[in-house]
Amino acid sequence: MKRFGPGSVRYYFYHEKKLLLIVTLSGILYNVGMIAGPWFDGQLAQYLYDIFGGTRTAADMYALCLCYALVILGVQGARYVKRLYVRKFANNISLSMKDRLYQHLVQTPKRDMEQADTGALMTKVISDIDTCVEGMRKFTTEIFDTGVVMAAYVVMLVWYDWRLTLCVLVFPPIAYALANSLRRLVAVTAARSKESSGALSGMTLDRISNALTYRVYGEEAIQDQRYEGYLADYEKKIILANLWENTLQPIYKVIAMIGTMLVIWFGGRNVLGTGWESWDIAAFSTYLACFIKLATKSSHAAKLFNAIQKAQVSWQRIQPHLQAATELPDPVPPAAPAALTVRHLSFTYPGSDGPIFQDLSFSARPGTIIGITGPVACGKSTLGQAFLCENPHGGQIFFGAKELGNGHTAPDGIVGYCGHDAELFAATVEENIRLGLSGDIAPVLKKVCMDEDCATFPMGIETPIGESGQRLSGGQQARIALARSLFHPRPLLILDDPFAAVDMATERKIFTSLRQDYSDRIILLISHRLSLFPNLDQVIWLNGDGTSVVATHEALYASCPAYRNLYDLQHAQGGAHHA
Amino acid sequence: MRNIFWQTLKKNGLLLVILIAAIIASIAVGVTPPLILQYIVDSLVSGSFSAYPLLTAGILYFALNAGSGLVDALKETLITVFGQKITHGLRSAMCQRLDELPAAYFVSHEAGAVTSLFVNDVDTLENLFDSGVVSMIADAFTILSILVVVFHLSLGLGILLCICLPLLFILTRYFQKRMLQAQRDNRIAVGRTNELIPETVHNIRTIHTCQQERYLRQRYGRTIRASFDAMERSNFCDSIYSPIIITSCTVIICLMMALSVSSPSLQEIFGMTVGSVVALIAYVRRIFSPLESIGMEIQNIQSAVAGIGRLKDFFAEPIQERKEPEVPDAAAAPLVIDDAAFGYGREKDIFRHFSLTVAAGEMVTITGRTGAGKSTLFKLILGLYQPREGQVRIFGCDPSRLAPAVRRQVFGYVEQQFHAISGTVADQISLKDPRVTAGAMEKALHLVGLWDTCCALPQGLDTPFRPELFSRGQSQLLSIARAVVMNPQILLFDEITANLDSLTESQVLQALQAAAKDRTVLSISHRLYEAQGGRRVVIGETEA
Repeated sequence: MKRFGPGSVRYYFYHEKKLLLIVTLSGILYNVGMIAGPWFDGQLAQYLYDIFGGTRTAADMYALCLCYALVILGVQGARYVKRLYVRKFANNISLSMKDRLYQHLVQTPKRDMEQADTGALMTKVISDIDTCVEGMRKFTTEIFDTGVVMAAYVVMLVWYDWRLTLCVLVFPPIAYALANSLRRLVAVTAARSKESSGALSGMTLDRISNALTYRVYGEEAIQDQRYEGYLADYEKKIILANLWENTLQPIYKVIAMIGTMLVIWFGGRNVLGTGWESWDIAAFSTYLACFIKLATKSSHAAKLFNAIQKAQVSWQRIQPHLQAATELPDPVPPAAPAALTVRHLSFTYPGSDGPIFQDLSFSARPGTIIGITGPVACGKSTLGQAFLCENPHGGQIFFGAKELGNGHTAPDGIVGYCGHDAELFAATVEENIRLGLSGDIAPVLKKVCMDEDCATFPMGIETPIGESGQRLSGGQQARIALARSLFHPRPLLILDDPFAAVDMATERKIFTSLRQDYSDRIILLISHRLSLFPNLDQVIWLNGDGTSVVATHEALYASCPAYRNLYDLQHAQGGAHHA
Repeated sequence: MRNIFWQTLKKNGLLLVILIAAIIASIAVGVTPPLILQYIVDSLVSGSFSAYPLLTAGILYFALNAGSGLVDALKETLITVFGQKITHGLRSAMCQRLDELPAAYFVSHEAGAVTSLFVNDVDTLENLFDSGVVSMIADAFTILSILVVVFHLSLGLGILLCICLPLLFILTRYFQKRMLQAQRDNRIAVGRTNELIPETVHNIRTIHTCQQERYLRQRYGRTIRASFDAMERSNFCDSIYSPIIITSCTVIICLMMALSVSSPSLQEIFGMTVGSVVALIAYVRRIFSPLESIGMEIQNIQSAVAGIGRLKDFFAEPIQERKEPEVPDAAAAPLVIDDAAFGYGREKDIFRHFSLTVAAGEMVTITGRTGAGKSTLFKLILGLYQPREGQVRIFGCDPSRLAPAVRRQVFGYVEQQFHAISGTVADQISLKDPRVTAGAMEKALHLVGLWDTCCALPQGLDTPFRPELFSRGQSQLLSIARAVVMNPQILLFDEITANLDSLTESQVLQALQAAAKDRTVLSISHRLYEAQGGRRVVIGETEA
């Protein structure tokens, strides 16, 4: 069964069939026209010879020249059209491949992304697209520029003198074969130099980005010494790669050109009337020029196959991604508030032995804020993430009548999440909060106490915040992430440590506005700072051994020594008192 | 920078001579084959060409063509060798320079940008040399030599070329400039595209929970569209340039032929023979490729100029004054800060009148609100910055004057975040310092409780370090191992339990306590449960 979807190369060729038609027509026209040059050049010499001999007049020469100029104009015009459209063709394919790839990326589940360094992988895949498209372009070009033109030259040569042609045509294939067999060597040295260049760049970045670490520890000189080693290696490999690259090409050409000696010897005899055929000067000059062009072309042909081979390798890498890309689904509209019921929830990391928590049951009505805490590594973040249904969980989570995850309803439109990683984009404050949604962002800014911060920014909410929001403080980043989660309305909000980098006064202010303005939502507040916990409706204490307790703060404080200790420890010197 | 350049030239004098010889040879050999061809054709026309000279001429023609290719290859290789020598020297010098730059430089300059200076800008400088100046000289001489031969063969064609060449050169430059602009735009767009990918991966959870896949696709679509548009512009120039040149070439040849037969006087000026027609056509076709190259070389030089500007700026950066190293006095107090004031650059003071004396074996926790200068104080203690007023003394020395070799025996510094270096897991601890023995590493790893974890790695300590090998807490433990491996007397802990969420916080605290034993410890924290022992010092106003 033939696959003919976006996962096959043919799909892209087929998709651009109009452009390919133009390329084909202009390509054939141009390449057949290529033999016009040597032919006219020969005729020019011949006409001059005839004018000297008195058999032709200057008027003949004018006509020939005019004719030559017009033909070349036509041929080169066709060439322009061919070049332009073959590039347009490549550019279009690159655009549609990249778009498809991103479409796939943006739909990839978080779980799959954690497998490998997806970011670096995908960046590599994008550069693979460029290589692949370049190969497709060269392939398309060379069908004409090598295939058609070589055929045209050979026909012309045979027509002039078939015996001589048989003799001289021995050499270009030898050159090609040699080039083809040494191709690997050239590729290997080139790859080594690239590797060394990569290593050097890596070391440079390391030396610079860790400069202060090295300085603090007095290790700068040792690093410099190592860097010198990388420099020497790089120099050696680059020179070697260049040596192969530069010297082999002329050698191939020399081999392909051996035939010129025969052309001059036998061709000369043809002109002198002692050879296989009877030639005039035009024939001699045309034949020689044609042969040189053919020889040059064939010595370059091996290079072309390099590009195609590279394209094939690249294609293998991008194909699965293109194949897997599906249309983006329509967003699910935000769900209406409903009650949350969690029954016997458990979660086991794929590949680990026991569950990190189990048999956890609780329920909440809209307007409830539930705190989740516990000792270090107790799985509180994992509990929060269980509601995102990225991995299968044990037990059941019901939102209203819908069961979430495990193949039932996806949490789309129901669960909002704000992790301790702010996940900000290199865009403005506003774009980060909006993320494609329209509406007024001023209220959410105020609720997370970012309005005053924004007023101090040079361009207000239109200030770009840099890569991952690095131009902002940690507290500002966290608050923008929180504002974003609030701006995208979801009836169930998971907030994982949103106040870690926020001072206590601000924390309290934000909490108050969460209480007042989001009375129709269920909020799960994960934190190891317990100052707000007395004000929460319920607290889930994870013991870290899989067991858990769900109770009010007061009940937990009274019954759970670990909780009490943690709370007291934090409030012993902080000034706050247990309510 | 100029010095490095000249030194490299001087060191490789012989190479330079060979290079010049190769360039001359390549021009000379390159310009002769059409002359042989002319001789062959003229002899054939005269009809009196015996077998032996014909064969000789054929061999000579082939030999010259072959030689020209080989000499060219030699020339190219030599140019590369030379360029590499220069860039090697420059990069070495730049690396040395890093040691002398003040800490503020590394804070105010992004590592990526400085790396680009080392990698890309030095490469452009190499381009300036080999694909720029040297090649341009070679190409200019090639054109000149062809012109000389053409003038010799046909005065008329010489004049014709002298009129046409400048016009075509202007045209060439016009297209090259447009293409360069388009390529620059494309590169910017590609860079932007590449940034979006890791960002998308990193933020995928937000994208999914906000259900904004479409918005992100549009956002990505805009950047690839920008790249597409730039490529379209570049494609147009790329497609039309070469056809224009070849057409012009043909027109010149036609003009030459038409003029040379039009009147006896012009015939005189053009002085054509059948053989010279063949030779001259060859020359006309040959003269355009160096012309095009010169255009590119001008471009290389122009783009290198910007790179050179940046490199010059790098070398012009103010450097730390060189100071005689001091030897720490073991009897003196580990740390004395006397009425210190400090602020970054031209900003106002972060703190003033701060004094602190820490006795050997003491444990001091520094607290203060965000921005009060806790981490900054550590940087002063480490000698990365100088106080504006007052002084900082470590065992009686200015910390910036501590000899590099003793620093690891004086300080161990654990930052909020672990900074991995490239290399193996062992390298993370030793920082590739050969003085760190395997035994010392093992001891440090036992101390922080990571030994078993490291042994369980596929290649043990020699496993190439990847961030995913260790959890956040474990990388902090690694950081502590790095700090204590050479048995320092003072440990500085900068809020290392912050951001430690669900993992090994208690293990980190345990490791800290183990590391703190018998040492002088300064730690920053507003996590209060850590402050169970020692003295608490507040910097700036008191915490709210």
